[in-house]
Amino acid sequence: MTQVTMIVNGDSRTASVPPETTLLMLLREHFNLTGAKLGCDVGDCGACTVIVDGKPVNACLMLAVQAEGRSVLTIEGLATQNELHPIQKAFEDQASLQCGFCGPGVILSAKALLDNIPDPSKQEIRDALSGNLCRCTGYTKMIEAIQESARVLRGGSADQAV
Amino acid sequence: MTTKVKTAKKQKSPAMDLPRGMEVNLRLPTVMPPVPYPIETLVPKVRQQTPAVGQRATRPDGRLHGLGQTKYIDDMSFPGMLHAKIKRAGIASARIKSIDTSAAEAMPGVMAVLIGREIPVNSFGPSFQDQPLLADELVFHAGDGVAAVAAVTEQIAIEALEKIKVEYEPLPAIFDPVEAMKEGAHKVHAPNGNVYATKVVKKGDVEAGFAASHRIFEGTFRTQMVEHVPIEPHAAIATWDPNGRVTIYTSLGRITLGRADVARTLKLPINRIRLIGTIVGGNFGGKNEITQEPILALLSRKTGRSVKGVYSREEEFISSTTRHPIIMDYKTGVDKDGRILARKVRLVLDGGAYCSWSETTLGKAAILSAGPYNIENLHVEAYVVYTNKTMTGAMRGFGAPQVCFAYESHMDDIAEGLNIDPLEIRLLNAFGEGSASPTGQVLHSVVVRDTLLKAAERFGWKESR
Repeated sequence: MTQVTMIVNGDSRTASVPPETTLLMLLREHFNLTGAKLGCDVGDCGACTVIVDGKPVNACLMLAVQAEGRSVLTIEGLATQNELHPIQKAFEDQASLQCGFCGPGVILSAKALLDNIPDPSKQEIRDALSGNLCRCTGYTKMIEAIQESARVLRGGSADQAV
Repeated sequence: MTTKVKTAKKQKSPAMDLPRGMEVNLRLPTVMPPVPYPIETLVPKVRQQTPAVGQRATRPDGRLHGLGQTKYIDDMSFPGMLHAKIKRAGIASARIKSIDTSAAEAMPGVMAVLIGREIPVNSFGPSFQDQPLLADELVFHAGDGVAAVAAVTEQIAIEALEKIKVEYEPLPAIFDPVEAMKEGAHKVHAPNGNVYATKVVKKGDVEAGFAASHRIFEGTFRTQMVEHVPIEPHAAIATWDPNGRVTIYTSLGRITLGRADVARTLKLPINRIRLIGTIVGGNFGGKNEITQEPILALLSRKTGRSVKGVYSREEEFISSTTRHPIIMDYKTGVDKDGRILARKVRLVLDGGAYCSWSETTLGKAAILSAGPYNIENLHVEAYVVYTNKTMTGAMRGFGAPQVCFAYESHMDDIAEGLNIDPLEIRLLNAFGEGSASPTGQVLHSVVVRDTLLKAAERFGWKESR
C-alpha cells in the first residue's frame, strides 16, 4: 500500500492504495467521485478526463501516486453550492448531452481549454475535444455550448448567442 | 375563561415552492431528488401537452449529466460487492475437452467460479435460443465465455481467469457467409444448416421486366461489421437474496424481455426476478438482450453477495452484438429514360455465431432493399447465415443503412451508365403520394421528391455541375 495525498476539488485528500491504482480508480472507489467514467481503460475515449494542475488528463492512464501533491479538479468540483458552472449551464441549455456518459470528460476538456484560451475558434474547440469520444455523436451542440459559455465567461451576455 | 387560540402562521402551500417543472402536475410524487447541490432539478412533465416544434428543448436529465451526478451501473456499489470477469475462448470453433478451475478457486480473494453446465438453462436469444451464456461443450466464436469468476477485486478476478485451464479440440470453422451457404460447408450449429432465416419479397414479373428493359445494370455491394461502441460498456449488478429473489441492476435497454430471459435461464418463476433498468450510457441496439446477467445472478447465489460485472472495451468488440455485414447483389432493368422496370436483389447477411436480432434485421433489410422507388417488377431474396464470428444483432436501422448504401450506389451507377443526372433519375423513380411499397403498403405524406429538390437547391447541386 502507498499513501497518496493530493488536493481534490480544493480539499486535501489522503488515501492508502495499492501502487498500481490509477487516478481514476482512486477518485471513483476511494473518494466516491464517480463523475469521471471508465469507458475504454486505454486513454482513447476521454470519459475519465479530469484536470490535474490545469491540464486535462486521462485519469485511467495516470497512476494515483503520480498525482501526489498535485491539484485535481473533477466534475464534482465545478459547480458551486448555488450555481452551475457556465459550461454546465450552457450544456444544459443547449441540450448538448444525450446519454451523458462522455459529458463530465467533455466539460472538463472544455474547462481546460477556456482557462487557457478565453475566445477559442471552432477549430480550437474541436482540437480540445479530440480526446473525447461521444458515440451519440452530439459534437455540434457541444461546440455551440462551449462557444456560448466562452462568451459568458468573458463577461458577455448569454443572449448574444445564436 | 377565555383561551386565546393561537392561530398558526399562514403557511404557504408546499406546491408554491416547487421548482420549475414540478408545479404543473401535482399528481406526480412531489419528492425532491437527493442531490448534493442545492440546485433545482428538472422533473419531466408527464402527460402534459407542450409545444414542441420550433421550441428549444431542454433534456430533463441534462443537468445531472453535466454535474456528473447521473448514476450509471458502474457508479453504484453494494456492501461486500464482488467483481466478476468472464474468460473468453479466444478460439473460433472448438470442442471443450476439459475445464480446470481448481487453481483459480484456490486463489485468495476468489469467492466463486462458474462454468456453463452449472447454468440451469444455458441458452437464450430474442427469437432462437441458440446462444449459450457460457460455452459448455462447443465454442462457436472466439468471444464466447467459457467460465466466470467472482472475486473481491476486479484485479484478482482478472488474474484468476488466467489460472483457469481450458483444453480445446479445434474444429473446422467458417468465416465467409457465402461459403457457409454452400453444400458441404462446416455447419456452425450442426445438424442445422447455416442458413437460419430467409425472406422473399415478390412483386410483378421480374423476368418480363428485364426482357422489356433497354439496359440492365448489375452490381455487388458489401458492408463491414460495425460495433456499437457505447461509451458505457455493458454493466450489471446482481443480488440473489436469501428469499430466493434475484434483483439485477442492468444497462439493458429492454428490461421486460430481459426479465423473461433471465427467468428462463435461471429456471425461476418470473415473479422472482426484479430487473432494474438504469440510465444507459449509449445503447444503439447493442443493449437489447441479456448478456452476463444470469451469470452474475448465479455467482451471487454461490457467494451470498452482490456481484458486479462490467465488460472491458475488448469484450464489447468481441463478445457483444455487432451490425450485420451484408453482401448485396443488385440487378436492375431500366428503359431509355432511366425508369426502373425490374429489380432483382439478393442479400446475404453474415449472422455471426448466434441469431440475436437477425430475423428482424433480415426482414427490414429485405423490405427496404428496393429503395424508395416505384418498381413494378421486383424480386428480393435475403438469407441470414451462421458463421464462426461475433454475433450480429440489432443496431440503429436494423439493416436499413446497409441496403441504402447499396441501392443508392447502384442508382449512381445506372445514372452514369445512361448519362442522366443522378438527381433526375431519382426524381423520375421516387415514391409519390399513394405509391405502394414493395410489400403493398400504400404510402401517404410522401415527401421524397420535395426533400431531394430542397436539398439540391440548398447545396447548389446544379451550379456545382
